[in-house]
Amino acid sequence: MNENTIEKKGIKETLSDALKSFGLPRIIIAGFLLLLYIMAPIVGADLPTQITNTINRFSWNAIMVLAMVPMVHSGCGLNFGLPLGIISGLLGATLSIEFGFTGGFSFVMAILLATPFALLLGTGYGWLLNKIKGGEMMIATYVGFSSVSFMCMMWLLLPYDSPNMVWGMAGKGLRTTISLEGYYDQALASILQIKIGNFEIPTGTLLFFALFAFAIWAFLHTKTGTAMTAVGSNPVFARASGINVDKMRLLSVVMSTWLAAIGILVYEQGFGFIQLYMAPFYMALPAVSAILIGGASVNKASIANVIIGTFLFQGIVTMTPTVMNNMVHMDMSEVVRIIVSQGMILYALTRKTEATR
Amino acid sequence: MSEKKKKQRVSPAEVLRNNTVPLMFIVICAICIPLSGFSPSYLFNEIVTRIGRNTFLILSLLIPIMAGMGLNFGMTLGAMAGEIGLILVCDWQIVGIPAMVLAVIISLPIAVLLGWFCGTILNMAKGREMITSYIMSFFMNGIYQLVVLYMMGSIIPIRHSNIKLPRGYGIRNTVSLLRMRQKLDKLIPLKIFGADIPVMTFIIIALLCFFIIWFRKTKLGQDMRAVGQDMEVAKDAGINVERTRIISIVISTILADIGMVIYLQNMGNFATYSSHSQIGMFCIAALLVGGASVDRASIGNVFLGVTLFHMMFIVAPAAGAKITGDSMIGEYFRVFASYAVITIALVMYETKKRRARSATGQQLALEQQREQEAA
Amino acid sequence: MNTKRTFFFRVALILLLVIIAALMFIIGRGHTVYFDNKAIEYNGQSIETPYKIEVTVKDERVAKLYDGERGMTDTMGQSFSMIVEITQEKGGDPVAHAVSLALPYSMDGIILNIPAMMAGLPADAYLTEFIPTPDTETEDEDVVTDEFATDEFSI
Repeated sequence: MNENTIEKKGIKETLSDALKSFGLPRIIIAGFLLLLYIMAPIVGADLPTQITNTINRFSWNAIMVLAMVPMVHSGCGLNFGLPLGIISGLLGATLSIEFGFTGGFSFVMAILLATPFALLLGTGYGWLLNKIKGGEMMIATYVGFSSVSFMCMMWLLLPYDSPNMVWGMAGKGLRTTISLEGYYDQALASILQIKIGNFEIPTGTLLFFALFAFAIWAFLHTKTGTAMTAVGSNPVFARASGINVDKMRLLSVVMSTWLAAIGILVYEQGFGFIQLYMAPFYMALPAVSAILIGGASVNKASIANVIIGTFLFQGIVTMTPTVMNNMVHMDMSEVVRIIVSQGMILYALTRKTEATR
Repeated sequence: MSEKKKKQRVSPAEVLRNNTVPLMFIVICAICIPLSGFSPSYLFNEIVTRIGRNTFLILSLLIPIMAGMGLNFGMTLGAMAGEIGLILVCDWQIVGIPAMVLAVIISLPIAVLLGWFCGTILNMAKGREMITSYIMSFFMNGIYQLVVLYMMGSIIPIRHSNIKLPRGYGIRNTVSLLRMRQKLDKLIPLKIFGADIPVMTFIIIALLCFFIIWFRKTKLGQDMRAVGQDMEVAKDAGINVERTRIISIVISTILADIGMVIYLQNMGNFATYSSHSQIGMFCIAALLVGGASVDRASIGNVFLGVTLFHMMFIVAPAAGAKITGDSMIGEYFRVFASYAVITIALVMYETKKRRARSATGQQLALEQQREQEAA
Repeated sequence: MNTKRTFFFRVALILLLVIIAALMFIIGRGHTVYFDNKAIEYNGQSIETPYKIEVTVKDERVAKLYDGERGMTDTMGQSFSMIVEITQEKGGDPVAHAVSLALPYSMDGIILNIPAMMAGLPADAYLTEFIPTPDTETEDEDVVTDEFATDEFSI
């Protein structure tokens, strides 16, 4: 009998532990999303379309969320400086079009052209973050903002002259949105696309994400990858065991920046447009909150967090407007999105973390 | 004691480094002013108006800095409270200065509540106050939208159709404060060099400055400085650290609330859903331009900052248009300059902190070594 | 002892704020006053309009009304005083009257019929509420919550 109670207690404890590790906010958000899916058919929304939308948006955003992982692992915190990587991607995209590449090939070229910028900017960004250990997140935010506003000037001044991208009247200065029709619109999504009635799966994009997710997962299990994790979880121990902490951090920042560049290109191929000027300004926040919703914390993140988080976040983003509109004829989705995503970031920031420097 | 020590050691290079940002702005202004082609009287008029409009808001940032909580991005919360007060006052058809007073009183409980909430959250995120207060401003913006866009008119009664959306609930994109416009600024009329001087606003700003100077000397002010220096030491000295920090944020939020009302009475109308969102960023940039840092800011920084920052803001678009032939360049440039200033100031603060930390670490190691040798 | 004193001060402060707020409600209430120079019928008594009416509020000429015209001014508080100058005939000398009256708190817009008022008729004859024509707009305004949509950078 005595044993029995102990065992019971054990089960209870493990259950509550599991609950704790999953976190109350996540349970609420997952429950909310489930409720939305149940409500959707009741209020008359077409469920297959809704699921298609969710999967589509998942496929557009997943790599940008994945870009969070290396920096969290190396202890640089959440990459609020994502816009810097996005700018590299935008440079790649616009240059690819400027040089006259078309169709699916322009996507490959965009990635290739974005890479040197991502490496260069990432290195500078990583070097800066190594100088200010402990204050990464705030400075990352402002590095992102500064670079976006700097590029606002550059988009106007750089000598682009492809008629598909510049303002028609002036003949110079890039437009705020550039259509990708004829370039890499749906370049990945159309590969092996599955269509059943209203239900569509962008297999190509999902596979592309899976490839990157697997690569990051594999990388984290290599010698360099484990060293990077060691730097994040215990920098003093890592230094003692002969790991070059600054080099690891730099590598993680470059990886994050490059992934962000790829991420925005994947987003564009799904969305169909390149958005310039102020558009990348707040793009870090959805990615940050997505990975946090998925169960990551300021210094811990896994590929599973990325997948779960992106799905939950994008699910809420796509489902709330339709369900709310059908239910109360009031589009409160914007408010719900802000409160959920920012609330999640706040929650994560107030958690006590193991490795506080 | 420690301050005296610092003063003795200051070298010219140090002075230059500590004032990089103001010097940069002086150079930018010096280049842009002749290019912009504005007349001195126009510039004087604009600057005086903007100092009156903005200074109160920037002063609200000083107290959290004193308490070691960094730049309070959560001042946006106070601005939101002020806007809610103004919307209600507008609907009740209260006008003039009484309307301003009433708006402040109405929004005071909201500001206290928001400040208390923000302070409590920041206590849970020690060492990450700035990013947390920054995200807090976004989070509260969501709540603000929920209240103003959905609850006003449906739960909170709004009678007048000139501020209510035609659909029956929610507030319109802009709220006109025409019957409150510049009532405070023009209460005591005075003209110098053809520029209207907002005398009453300046008097209120002066009062706030005296309040801050006095507050520093009170028991609470001293406690705040102790908490700002070192939380552990302050705790050992019997100071309630958490409470002191919350109070500093509450005061800041209240001041931001009043500051926003003063700011908007000068503007004469406001964009319901976006007026507050940028205000924190611009006030912080202005303060940093004045030579303040994350852990040190004085009233002098505020005045120098507001002057230089707004000078840049006035002349940059015109100068940019002259140089590049595109007016948007100047617009983007001033936005870029504001963000770049904050970035530079943050980087300088963190590197200085790190240098100081490694210096004390080295000293500690040296002392230990000496002790060991002595033993 | 000390806590008791603090408590007392807090209550007093809150009370003071409430009193100031109440005061502001009263003295800060804004009204729009409209002046009509129109002929009306009241209880069988018909009032003719003079040639011209000029209204001065706080040394400022706010309205100059010929037959059938309407003028307006904004005012604060419930006591309203003005100087009404009436010119009966074209080319005649204006006669000035100082008029003070209390405005009803509940009305945003108030129409004063000056000829009726000058003829000494009761308040319900010359004072009516101004009700703005209801909005004919049916289309909803698009709410812009995006920070970059407006010219917020022009602070």
